[in-house]
Amino acid sequence: MSWSINTALRNRNLGALVAVLLGALCYSSGQDVALRAPATATAGNPIAIGTSGSGSATFYLIGPSVSLKRDDIQLGQDISLSDKEIQSSGRYLAIVCTNSCSNAAFFVAPAKPSTLTFLAHPSRVPVERGDAISAVAMPFDEFHNLVLTSTTVDFQLAAKGSAPVSHKVQTDGGVAWFRTNSGKAAGVLQMTASLDGVSARRVVQQVASDPCNLRIKGARNPKGISVETEPVRDCAGNPVPDGTIVTFTARNGNQISTVDAPVKQDIARAQISTSGPVVVSAASGVVMGNELRIGGQ
Amino acid sequence: MKAIAKLHFVLLSTITLSFFLAGAMPSIAADSRLDVSLDSTKSAPRQVESLTQKSIVRDYKLAWASLAQALESNSPAPLNGLFEGSASEWLNQRVGGQQRSGLSSRYSNQNHKLQAVFYAQEGDVIELHDTAEYDIEILDGRNTIHTEHVLERYVVLMTPGVDRWVIRQLQSVPQF
Amino acid sequence: MIRALPIAIVIVVVTVLLIIAGLHSTAGAGTVGVASGSALPGFSSRANTPEQALSNFLLDVQRRNWGRAFANTERENANLTETEFAQSWMGVSGGLRSFSNLESYDARPLHATDSDAQMRVRLHWATPVGPVEDVRDFHLVRRGDQWRVVWDETPPRSIPAQIVPVNYLRWDLVTGNAAGAEWGSRNVDSPHVRIVSMNAVDSAEGPVVMGEVVNEDTIPAFVNVNATLVDAAGSAIDDESSFDKILHVLLPKQVSPYRIDFPHVSLSKVKNVRMDVKATLVPASSDPVIGVMDQEIDTDAQGHSVLHGSLQNESGETVNIPHVIASFYDNNGKVIWVSDGYVEHALLPQSIEPFAVELPKSLAGKVQSFHVVVNQYSLAKS
Repeated sequence: MSWSINTALRNRNLGALVAVLLGALCYSSGQDVALRAPATATAGNPIAIGTSGSGSATFYLIGPSVSLKRDDIQLGQDISLSDKEIQSSGRYLAIVCTNSCSNAAFFVAPAKPSTLTFLAHPSRVPVERGDAISAVAMPFDEFHNLVLTSTTVDFQLAAKGSAPVSHKVQTDGGVAWFRTNSGKAAGVLQMTASLDGVSARRVVQQVASDPCNLRIKGARNPKGISVETEPVRDCAGNPVPDGTIVTFTARNGNQISTVDAPVKQDIARAQISTSGPVVVSAASGVVMGNELRIGGQ
Repeated sequence: MKAIAKLHFVLLSTITLSFFLAGAMPSIAADSRLDVSLDSTKSAPRQVESLTQKSIVRDYKLAWASLAQALESNSPAPLNGLFEGSASEWLNQRVGGQQRSGLSSRYSNQNHKLQAVFYAQEGDVIELHDTAEYDIEILDGRNTIHTEHVLERYVVLMTPGVDRWVIRQLQSVPQF
Repeated sequence: MIRALPIAIVIVVVTVLLIIAGLHSTAGAGTVGVASGSALPGFSSRANTPEQALSNFLLDVQRRNWGRAFANTERENANLTETEFAQSWMGVSGGLRSFSNLESYDARPLHATDSDAQMRVRLHWATPVGPVEDVRDFHLVRRGDQWRVVWDETPPRSIPAQIVPVNYLRWDLVTGNAAGAEWGSRNVDSPHVRIVSMNAVDSAEGPVVMGEVVNEDTIPAFVNVNATLVDAAGSAIDDESSFDKILHVLLPKQVSPYRIDFPHVSLSKVKNVRMDVKATLVPASSDPVIGVMDQEIDTDAQGHSVLHGSLQNESGETVNIPHVIASFYDNNGKVIWVSDGYVEHALLPQSIEPFAVELPKSLAGKVQSFHVVVNQYSLAKS
């Protein structure tokens, strides 16, 4: 009887000890895990996140372009993040869970610029227009992160027959921009934006402005009247592009005849069927030309 | 007995329905709260016209509502037509990662204060700084692994699409 | 199922009866739904009256029964062939008339004796561009106890075979590969088009917004003008497009009128008009060049004010469906009306076709000048 009581007592103590030990284990499993994230991280560069504690846990990483989960990571060891896992610039959240979860946030900064997005407008611009050409450049790294640190973008403009012009602009919030006048001569304007060996090129067509001094001449022929313009040029002397419409109008009393004729090799021509005396005029867009009086047949 | 059984049935049904609605209602109520405001006084070189301001606020709000829906439902479909370029790529990758790992994210109580800092003369790109506040909940399956009230700063690039402004870059930064 | 059987039988029987009734009622009848007196009733072998002769003739035209129609006319030009007769009705070379059907007509006698009659007929054509009306005077004569339509049209002038060089500029659009293109690299701006004038007026059918638009660019533009009517509170009442009342493809420096109609809206509610012009890149050609000759405002036989003239195709390409758009200006140069009309016959190379567009009589006295442009649709380019 006494042996049974002693055994029971011993068993009870053993059980209590086991319970205490188990409790201790649980306590250590449920403890907060400290995560040590790097103070600075750059896109595309692998990093490691330190952990404290022991045992296994589940690791999560939430970022601008990533959501991953790793089971059975070992606490007390660093968690490696590859270059592919932190390519996108922004805020990342690292979470480690055992029975409870701990987290640490860190920022990944963009890498150095490797491309330049270059927006040049317009694709066609009339000559001699003030502030007509706009250039905007934005540097991105190889992972398409906008580089926000201030850098200098060199804009270069080169047109045939003119010396190249350079314009340096600091980026502000990742954007560099400037505006300039269009040149005097029609033709192709090459625009280049460059930054630390990275460049982008665009082409702007400088085209003739509105026709200037639109003058016409004409003569009667068996079919009616043949009219044509003198070479149609803008005020800077650039010939207007072929295909530009010139509207010829012939008035004979209450009757009007019109022809929309396209310019071909600087000259627009039209044949108007009319027999009486007429007054002929021409217009292109909103520009009017001279008047011509031609007698009847 | 019959009456008691009937009462039990009614009570059980009511409780079940209440749980169902309770489960559904908070997400509906939370999703519906999404405020966006825009300050364009510092925009340069071009001023943002009032109609454009309204369009940007409308489209930015729609984009974030869709972003929240995509990350909660783990479907990239809501993102279509509202994001392009890097923004679209990143969000699609994040949704894909969530799908593979069984995670989801819940955004609620969003408040976005936008400031226009650059608007191109041609109107083809606008840069905004978004000071965003929202609650975020990260779930692994049905278990919440993280909740947080976030104050985050985003540099946003938006470009005009066919019939709306779309987000081309959505990049969070520690400060502006 | 058993209870429903009698109902099913009744439905089937009623349906069959209605079909039979419908077939009987339409047999030999003309156009459904047309007011009596203007439909095309059944053909009668006895053309005892001018009206009957005209009706027979137009029914043959409607049914394209050229042989019988031709045989029953009295021709002033003995050289006219049946083919030329058919072509004068249906047009050649894919003109608008080629795709049209004669729906109905309204006729009224101008004068009639025992042996001679003149009838003015308003022909209603159903065309791909909507209903078109054509007014013609028919001369009928009595031969024995039969009346016959006198056909006095000359055969269409044949164009001699020739080579016409086409060396006008054309523009092609190369879109390139959009996928994978970096942002900003596909730098081709939309054409610059500007609205140069806008005038909103009230008309019997509702407010009308009209004006002119110019292509200020050096490339062709496909242009559409939209307008939104806004009330005093700033809310949009209605928005409409210019639809086909504009020269859609504008070559560089070309000016086109536009007109936007707002049916069923009251101008009194309108506080503001918001204009929007959309221009997109489009391949185009400067050819064909169409001259608009001898334009003059006149009053037609029905007392309507019309601007008429003739289109002259100065190129070697057939214009299948010419569309004339005319803008009318007051003495301040303001656009006070825009009219348009389709020419039913194709404009053959180096040939002329007449046109006429109507102008509201109330405005005819205010018109100081006008300008006509020609929209054209060519099957070869479609």
